[in-house]
Amino acid sequence: MNARALTSDVLLGIIPIALLIGVWQAIDSLGYAPLSLLPPPGLVFTRLAQQLLTGEFEQEIGITLLRLFAGFSIAVILGVGIGLAAAAHPAVNAVVRPIVRVLAPLPKVALYPALLLLLGFGHASKITLVAADALFPILLSTYYGASMVEQKLIWSAMAAGTPRRQVLFKVVLPAAVPSILTGCRIGLVISCIVVFLAEMITSSDGLGHLLVTAARTFQAVDMFVPLITISLLGLILNGMLQAVRSYLLRGFPEV
Amino acid sequence: MKLLPLRLDIPTESASRRGPAMAMIEIDRVSQIFQTSGRQQHLALSEISLTVADGAFVSILGPSGCGKSTLLYIVGGFVSPTQGVATMKGKPITGPGPDRGPVFQEFALFPWKSVLGNVMYGPRQQGVKPAEAEAQSRALIEMVGLKGFEDFYPKELSGGMKQRVALARTLAYHPAVLLMDEPFGALDAHTRTRLQNDLLNIWERDRKTVLFVTHSVEEAVFLSDKVVVMTRSPGRIKEVVDIDLPRPRRRAELLLDSRYQKYVVDIEGIIDDTSEDELRP
Amino acid sequence: MIVVRTVLARLAPLLACLGLLGIWQIGALILNTESFPTALEALRAIPSILGDKEALINIAASLRRMAVGFALALAVSIPLGLMMGRSRAVASFFNPLLMIIYPVPKAALMPIIMLWLGVGDIAKTLVIFLGVSLPVIYHSFQGAKAVEEKMLWSGAAMGLSAPQRMIRIVLPAALPEILTGCRTGLVLALITMITSEMIARQSGAGNILFNALDMGQYDTVFAMIIIVGAMGIGLDAAFENLRGRLVKWSEPRFDLPLSFS
Repeated sequence: MNARALTSDVLLGIIPIALLIGVWQAIDSLGYAPLSLLPPPGLVFTRLAQQLLTGEFEQEIGITLLRLFAGFSIAVILGVGIGLAAAAHPAVNAVVRPIVRVLAPLPKVALYPALLLLLGFGHASKITLVAADALFPILLSTYYGASMVEQKLIWSAMAAGTPRRQVLFKVVLPAAVPSILTGCRIGLVISCIVVFLAEMITSSDGLGHLLVTAARTFQAVDMFVPLITISLLGLILNGMLQAVRSYLLRGFPEV
Repeated sequence: MKLLPLRLDIPTESASRRGPAMAMIEIDRVSQIFQTSGRQQHLALSEISLTVADGAFVSILGPSGCGKSTLLYIVGGFVSPTQGVATMKGKPITGPGPDRGPVFQEFALFPWKSVLGNVMYGPRQQGVKPAEAEAQSRALIEMVGLKGFEDFYPKELSGGMKQRVALARTLAYHPAVLLMDEPFGALDAHTRTRLQNDLLNIWERDRKTVLFVTHSVEEAVFLSDKVVVMTRSPGRIKEVVDIDLPRPRRRAELLLDSRYQKYVVDIEGIIDDTSEDELRP
Repeated sequence: MIVVRTVLARLAPLLACLGLLGIWQIGALILNTESFPTALEALRAIPSILGDKEALINIAASLRRMAVGFALALAVSIPLGLMMGRSRAVASFFNPLLMIIYPVPKAALMPIIMLWLGVGDIAKTLVIFLGVSLPVIYHSFQGAKAVEEKMLWSGAAMGLSAPQRMIRIVLPAALPEILTGCRTGLVLALITMITSEMIARQSGAGNILFNALDMGQYDTVFAMIIIVGAMGIGLDAAFENLRGRLVKWSEPRFDLPLSFS
């Protein structure tokens, strides 16, 4: 994409966001909404900046991030592991396949009360929920990535002397990385969403909890702050994953 | 897959039956520049001028990347030339239309419609009543040798069959010019020779103007009245070769015909020369 | 031997369900805490929920909101996604906005929306609308983008105008991908509905769940989970059936799958 096309893309993209903020401000300035219900954008962003500098807020962010990463990591390890195993061994496949078919469309958030009962109201229940929700996209994309690896690649490696056992790690796994990363991207977004929601439903700390507390005390400004924060976090994490993806996939043809 | 029998009263000279040949397509100093990723510009075609007579079967021949498909797309109105103008019957070409029907290498069939549905599409679009469109389409489907497959979906067909459907679909809306973009490139050699034969048989019926893009010298010589040899990018016309071989053309006869063989050898020589020209600084 | 295989394959999901329930039963018996009833106890609690008129009305209302939100989302998102897929300008316009909205859990907007619109149906339907829109837009976009250019050219040569090409070529060609998006949207609709009810706690299935939790009726909690789970699986299976019939002409393609089917 040459520079001219890139800048016009960026400019075009800014318009709706700018428009949204503009309309937001206008609604307030023209008095269509009481400031207590819809605080003006300036106020919200100032508050956001303020909060970002306080230790307390940073702590809350940290707690949310901790749960997010813990859950996501578990999902990655389990998802990639089971996905690879299912792709490599028909026996594993036969067992895993129907279980996944049953569990995948089930709204995992419905399990949350059960998790609360079993694991208490602290970190564990939330981390488990995040892991449960993020697991399936990662597992499925790993399975498909691994099973779609071109047979000829495997044969080339075996002809070169790679023993059967190692083929899985030396050929199949690397070849499946693009697919795995796509699944991870989805899993990451799901993790952001689920951790926030879990904290909203029941929690004593974290970003989601902040939102609910603000709602109960009718502090509209303080409700926007965690929302915008999780959105920004999502964007940043996504960007980081994209960077990792570009690095890991630097040898692959354009997908 | 049997074709209907050929009419036998067709003149064997390559001149059109429609009287003195008039220009159907005129390409006047057409150049095409593409923006590539990054800030570069790529000169795909350079000052192409070509006249295609009514009823002529013209092949555009050249190595990959010489812009021959681009030239076809310009005539089809799918791409606008950066410079120069292409006209049809004197009028400039500004967009696609049913007077220039494309047949693509990728078949481009509508997967959600059956064979019959695909072929009927053009006539229905032109306002032909359903019953009549269906009748016409069934006749065409039979003509391309796919009788019995009317209700099949594209995904159930082989490559050769898909291309027959694509041909029938385009013929269904009676274009004056057929634009064929390496139509047999995605098929295996055996299917390719069969379809070449079938194409000629179908073409002999009403002798439409055909612009046929290919990179196969034998195919070009076998099928056409004229072969336009292009150089690699920037694409230019190196030479236009008149093919003076009798019609109808039979593969078995032609392969053993020394005139055919000479054409192939000569044209391959022209192409080799151009490749060497490029290698030299 | 082959017959046994196919029978096993067909029954596999059912066996998986039974297997999972079995693991649950054993686990519960081992743990032996009050808060973790066994599978059988939970199953026994189901008829009392389904028999309770009030609960049924609640659940029906939930489903109705879900349906309305879902339908509205499709009506808006599919055209938008298709246009984004075929026009670079439209895509550039909406993409950044959508990328910002994506990681925000739509159910998290519930408190704010409740603040503005009260606790009625509109708030919950709106949240479901937002939740479903994003995957449908995305998949419609991808589907439209992937439509072969040559197919459109063939249509243009036949005399189709640009709007006609959009409706008569792009839409059907992208339909398989669009339906994948709808499937994701359906799952999300269910999740968003439950979650917003858990947060807003007015009515609906999520509310029943948490009420039971608060009141210590653990059997009911788990029974409700099974019901919601069954709803999810049932809706998904029904949709897959519909999808199969609508696009039986399509080559089975590898899109990021939601399940093994």
